[in-house]
Amino acid sequence: MARMRFRSGAEPVAGATDEVPDPPEPGGPAPAAARRPLLVVALALAVAAAVAAVWTGTSWYAAAHDDDTSFARTRDTVLAAGEQAVQNMNTLDHSDLDHGMDVWEASTTGDLHSQLVQGRTDFEKQVQQAQTVTTAKVLSGAVTELDARAGKASVMVALRITVEAPKSKPSVKESRMVGELTRTADGWKLSELGQAPMGDSAPSGTATPSPDGSPTSAAGR
Amino acid sequence: MSTTRHLINRQRRLAAASAAAAERTVRPSAERPAADRTTERAPRTDTAAGTAGATTATETEEAPEAPADPEARGRRRTDRFPLTLALLALLTVLLGGFAAVAAGRASSLRDDSAANTALTDTARTSEVKGTIAQDVNAVFSYDYTDTARTDQAARRVLTGKAVQQYATMIAGVKAQAGAQKLVLTTTVTDTGVEMIDGDRARVLVYADQSNTSTAKGASTGSTYAAAMFAVDAVHQDGTWKIAAIDTFG
Repeated sequence: MARMRFRSGAEPVAGATDEVPDPPEPGGPAPAAARRPLLVVALALAVAAAVAAVWTGTSWYAAAHDDDTSFARTRDTVLAAGEQAVQNMNTLDHSDLDHGMDVWEASTTGDLHSQLVQGRTDFEKQVQQAQTVTTAKVLSGAVTELDARAGKASVMVALRITVEAPKSKPSVKESRMVGELTRTADGWKLSELGQAPMGDSAPSGTATPSPDGSPTSAAGR
Repeated sequence: MSTTRHLINRQRRLAAASAAAAERTVRPSAERPAADRTTERAPRTDTAAGTAGATTATETEEAPEAPADPEARGRRRTDRFPLTLALLALLTVLLGGFAAVAAGRASSLRDDSAANTALTDTARTSEVKGTIAQDVNAVFSYDYTDTARTDQAARRVLTGKAVQQYATMIAGVKAQAGAQKLVLTTTVTDTGVEMIDGDRARVLVYADQSNTSTAKGASTGSTYAAAMFAVDAVHQDGTWKIAAIDTFG
């Protein structure tokens, strides 16, 4: 009995030593088994997120550094700037002349810009006498040439121009504009603008300068 | 007997430990589960070990020790486990967020501009320009002495909506051609590719048209006109065809 007691007395000690260092002891596996799925799920989600992050990050980097993509973006920038500038150059209200001419100057660069600045006073007089209001709508536009490195581009812009003068019906005409853009610190600006010339054999055409104060006649060739 | 007792003790510890594991998230304090277990255990010890005082003594000795054991372990794990989970969750959220942003940026970069390969795909761009210019010249040129050529060209290069649009446009010319001995010549002067997206393209066309009448008595001579319109083209049977003509009306 004493032995038994001794044994039984010793037992908890053995049990205690059993439990601490031995992982497969019954006290261990149950909570571990409960935790494991959670951990595995969390880990799997984290890994999945990491894979997704790497994948999309690479794709983002590639898109941002892809030559074609950046060229395509430049093309769209040029087209937007070109269409806007061509429209600006065909919009003028005699009652808001100063602002209109400022917009013209802001839309242009190079020779075209200096021509505008030089001829501004005379042109303003003409428009004030004619009292015209010219508005333009871009029908369609395309970039035909683009040298992103040199910062040069050519655009075609199909316009519908409406000229309203007092005591006469508004005249509507369609205009085949061709422009050249140059990249400046302020973005792409028109350095040349005119109407697409009619074929050589053509005795008359749309390129006739209009004396009615239509902006195109002043801005064009 | 010792084996039985050992087993019973183990079973108890097991039950206690799983109970503790189940309660771990709810109870941050280590004292309460330990207390629960000792009270639970006391009557059971009696039935298992009989009335021997020594046994109860060992049991009471064991009691504080045994629960402390899984508890201590539990606490160590409790400290690490939620932290690990939280870190993993945070990592998942951060990485997932980045992935979402990156995917959005990448697709916006690609969708907006790169889907349109006008000018970026130089070969296809010049192919579209060349083909459409030729096609427009062919179908909008009309010689009263050789009307079959224009009709053939129309069948060859027009498709879809453009067939009907073209028929309407050319009807006037056809009606007068014989009587007035009309020769209509269209020359495309400028083409600009607005868009190429796979098998579809849109081309802005500037063209000159000369209309010559050689009929006696009619107002002979040529008239010229400037035309501008846009053409929707589709790549079909290995070539670009005109699918729609937009005259900006």
